[in-house]
Amino acid sequence: MQRFFLVKLVESAIALWVITLIVFGLTHFSGNPVGALLPDDASPEQVAFLINKLGLDQPIHIQYLRFLGNAVQGDFGLSMKWPGQSAMDVVLSRLPATLTLGGMAMLISVVIAIPLGVASATRKGTIVDSFAQGIALIGQSMPSFWLGIILIWVFAVGLGMFPTSGSGTWAHLVLPAISIAWFQISALTRLTRSAMLEVLDAEYVKLARAKGVSEPIIVWKHALRNAAVVPLTYFGVLAGSVLTGSVVIETVFSWPGLGWTAIEAIKARDFPVVQSVVIVFAVIFILANLLVDLLYAYIDPRIR
Amino acid sequence: MPNIRSVARRTMMACAVSSIVGTAAFAQNVVVAIDPGSAESNLYWETIGGLIPPNMQSLVGNDPETGVYDASGLAESWEHDEDFTRWTFHLKPGAVFSGDWGPVTAEDVVHSVALHTGDDSRLSGIQSLRAATVTADGDHTVHFDLPNPDPDFLFLHAGRAVLVVYSKAQYDAEGLEGYARNPAGSGPFTFVSRDLGNTLKYDVAKDHWSGSSPRYDSLELRFVGEPATRLAMLLAGEADIVSLPRELQPEAEAQGHQTISSAQASVQTAFVLSGLFMDPEGPGAEMGLPWQDVRIREAMNRALDREALIDVLYEGRAEPLVVFSMDPRFDGHVPELARRFEAEYGHDPDRARELLAEADYPGAFANPVIPIAATALGGSPEFGLMAELVQAMFADAGLQTEIREMDWPTLQNARLGFTADFAHPMRNAPVRPNGIGVLASYTEQLSPAYSIGSRELDGMGDRLIETKDLEERAALIRDMFTYVFDNYAHMPIATISAEVVANPQRVAGWTFPGSSSSGFSHFELIETAD
Amino acid sequence: MPISTPASAESVAPVARKRRRNFLRPGGYPALPIAILMITLIIPALFSQWLAPYGPEATNLRARLQPPVFFGGDWSHPFGTDRLGRDILSRTMHGAWYALSISVVGIFVGVVIGSSLGLIAGYFRGWWDTIIMRLVDISLALPAMLLALALAALSGPSFQSVIIVVAFVLWAYFARQVRAEVLGLRERDFVARAVVAGSSHLAILRRHILPNVVNTIVVLATLQVGIVITLEASLSFLGIGIPRPIPTWGLMVADGRQLLTSAWWVSFFPGLAILLTVLSVNLFGDWLREKIDPKSRRV
Repeated sequence: MQRFFLVKLVESAIALWVITLIVFGLTHFSGNPVGALLPDDASPEQVAFLINKLGLDQPIHIQYLRFLGNAVQGDFGLSMKWPGQSAMDVVLSRLPATLTLGGMAMLISVVIAIPLGVASATRKGTIVDSFAQGIALIGQSMPSFWLGIILIWVFAVGLGMFPTSGSGTWAHLVLPAISIAWFQISALTRLTRSAMLEVLDAEYVKLARAKGVSEPIIVWKHALRNAAVVPLTYFGVLAGSVLTGSVVIETVFSWPGLGWTAIEAIKARDFPVVQSVVIVFAVIFILANLLVDLLYAYIDPRIR
Repeated sequence: MPNIRSVARRTMMACAVSSIVGTAAFAQNVVVAIDPGSAESNLYWETIGGLIPPNMQSLVGNDPETGVYDASGLAESWEHDEDFTRWTFHLKPGAVFSGDWGPVTAEDVVHSVALHTGDDSRLSGIQSLRAATVTADGDHTVHFDLPNPDPDFLFLHAGRAVLVVYSKAQYDAEGLEGYARNPAGSGPFTFVSRDLGNTLKYDVAKDHWSGSSPRYDSLELRFVGEPATRLAMLLAGEADIVSLPRELQPEAEAQGHQTISSAQASVQTAFVLSGLFMDPEGPGAEMGLPWQDVRIREAMNRALDREALIDVLYEGRAEPLVVFSMDPRFDGHVPELARRFEAEYGHDPDRARELLAEADYPGAFANPVIPIAATALGGSPEFGLMAELVQAMFADAGLQTEIREMDWPTLQNARLGFTADFAHPMRNAPVRPNGIGVLASYTEQLSPAYSIGSRELDGMGDRLIETKDLEERAALIRDMFTYVFDNYAHMPIATISAEVVANPQRVAGWTFPGSSSSGFSHFELIETAD
Repeated sequence: MPISTPASAESVAPVARKRRRNFLRPGGYPALPIAILMITLIIPALFSQWLAPYGPEATNLRARLQPPVFFGGDWSHPFGTDRLGRDILSRTMHGAWYALSISVVGIFVGVVIGSSLGLIAGYFRGWWDTIIMRLVDISLALPAMLLALALAALSGPSFQSVIIVVAFVLWAYFARQVRAEVLGLRERDFVARAVVAGSSHLAILRRHILPNVVNTIVVLATLQVGIVITLEASLSFLGIGIPRPIPTWGLMVADGRQLLTSAWWVSFFPGLAILLTVLSVNLFGDWLREKIDPKSRRV
């Protein structure tokens, strides 16, 4: 187990290193921040100072080594768009907002998708099934920003039930969370449905039926408990897509999270912040997957 | 230039009268939602200076109605020597910083200049201030000594706002960190909090030293990038004042909201050309840009139906522009060009086609395609649409075009590196005095990246910089604008005012001159509806 | 951002046997989705040059923001016009071509790269597997939107940059799926027999492995169309999609989003086209999976 853990750890570290290469390359080839950060009438001194301050006048490999050296210590430099703040601080201060939004979105999708999936599996081929699948499909068929704006018009402007945008209270969370969740709902509903269909055919369910266990107990207790494994294993991927999905939705709702920060930072060519966002995201993703791997290994020793 | 000091006096009297105000019955918070700026910091010099923080003041202000320089800033009066190289400002003796940081003195100004002109300054227009030697003369007098005559020095302080005054006492006690945390200012608001990328909160300064205070209690600036969301905020009652693209304004007005325009013209827009095209050895020649031929430039101008452009882009509410950067309010305006405009620049696709045929377009051109940069720029939401419209009009006249979508930093980097080979939308905001505008938009003197590459014009620019005599300067500026006009150097489009839409149940009115880069200022003059 | 799809796990799950025929499936094949697909995607994509009443970029400033017929407009512009007076019906029809070509090219590139690497990883295992699967992890750990933004900043948004982003989003997913299938097939008797018989790796891959995964690949590829089209729309929203004035559905929806309350038709019709296309492609994909996925056949 220790060896397995070690191997996984080394693999993750290598993956992370490759990601630093990619991120560094992408940010540095996407143009320099002068055009974004200085006014149209910037003087040559202003330009020269900024270039020098950011170390952009150094050879690229020196820049990378310097970047890597600092990055190992969690230091990505000072933000350029938000002067005076360290890039990592900017990102870490935004992380909770995105985690809250993502968490809420996942909660909503679970609360809606699991029952919907179960209902659609137990009533396969009926109107309920078609309806559930229809709802699920619509979520996948609409561009998320469009859905977000429609939600704003209907529920914030029209009905006045929620705030249009911004953050602060739980009410602010609802519309953006639904916008992100809807796509996930489609995925989860269909997963739950197919997993349930499989489990409902299993021998022990038939046995339980033969024993006269009531149908709701069979469905919600025996079957779902086993079927839930499939959507749960899917959660890691889901969490990842929640984070990236937030890029668009956070912009629509002015939600001050990581996705919004990433967009603003890229627009401003704020390399330190862009790099921090990607690395933080990658670390979270890799850690989550490491955890999943370890859990699997723990449950199923053959994997080791 | 009108007699500035008399205007200043008049404004001070107006202030004194308006300071007799009743207190609001309940706490009133005014929420203003606008486009986010390019950088955010409580250290003003780390931003490009688009928005003067409402708690801070510069030396000179703008009259809210006329936009003329007035004494609504920290200086009660000012004078200059004969050749405009020494400017002296007399500070208002009663001015104090918030948070008990004491009176505003000449030392504070000198200290602030040092901060603003540091290496890390990103402010627009800072070069002129950097060149100045600033000395305190007693507690309330400051001298700015300039290497070159600068009759437009007041613009730097007012509309361009390259200098806002921070407290030296606070700096001595708390350093830059104190500024970052809670910057003390002398303005009619006090800083409350900044939520990066989201909200800036201010309280109204109680018993402000100037004797006048806004008639509401707190101000909240919300930065929201998506215009549809800002409209929704207004309609849902979450924001009292929002900036909206003009095409969304009718929607808000239909719901009973009210558009408020800046009292004066705030922005000029144009379609401009890159590549130092007038320089036969410039990068434009290497790239083989078709608009090096004046006939092509005239054809491009003739292809534009400016009436339609103004209708579509500005809902018809704009003045046609004669020369980009030329404004009738300043010295050096050439009224004659407006009279010549219809005959020489008027919409005439047939004439455009004739010109193209004359120039043997596209046959004689190695590279006849005109790339058009479609770009989005905060505060100018119409730029993308402008590019599409111009493309359609060019195509109608027989010009070959290609749209290149790019963001502003990419465009700007291409310009700064002289690799830009496209035509693109451009703005002049705030509308600069003609002397500054003509240098910045066409010559290598202020913004080399935007030079048209004409040696003749650069020569006139060199002379302009050295000239002290106002008459002579005006004549030079007139010659320069005429040269630009005659050479079809750019495609002027419109002069517009800065506009916001307000909820009339919350906001009765707001007078602002439109003289700052963002167009917005004078938040203390927002009148709430009781 | 749609990194993954429900199909990922569902494809492993067995699907129903005797489905009752319902209104969607009169003759054993999904008539309605196919019909919708033909109307919204295929026919306009191939024939819009002749069918569309106007050119996609033909502006008419005198007829700006005309409402659709039955909503105050007339038959000259059945779906109304946009801010530049361009005919929305024509633009939506021309948009189909771009929807189709982005989907086909993007998915093709993603599938070819992803499946090849998945084949190699699953068949050769060992180092190949380790390296390729780490690449998959890396790719999943990089937010695709940020890649897209960086690409757009790098070279300006273009058809190619959109294709790269689409392929980037899809390849890792296909690599994973194909690898998993191949790992299973590798243990099967017929592969073992071929190895014993001395067949080369290439021959085994070609004769025994590929034919068995190709069905899965086709089905999964079909199910990506929806994701690609909505992804393109999101890219357009962020200003990094295919550049204007090319009438992609995503750009049309993104452009019209601000006019949702005053001129709803500008974004509604292209949005509807996206909705119907994705909906029917997914339904069709589901059907296809049941029909040809070897696993569902096994049940």
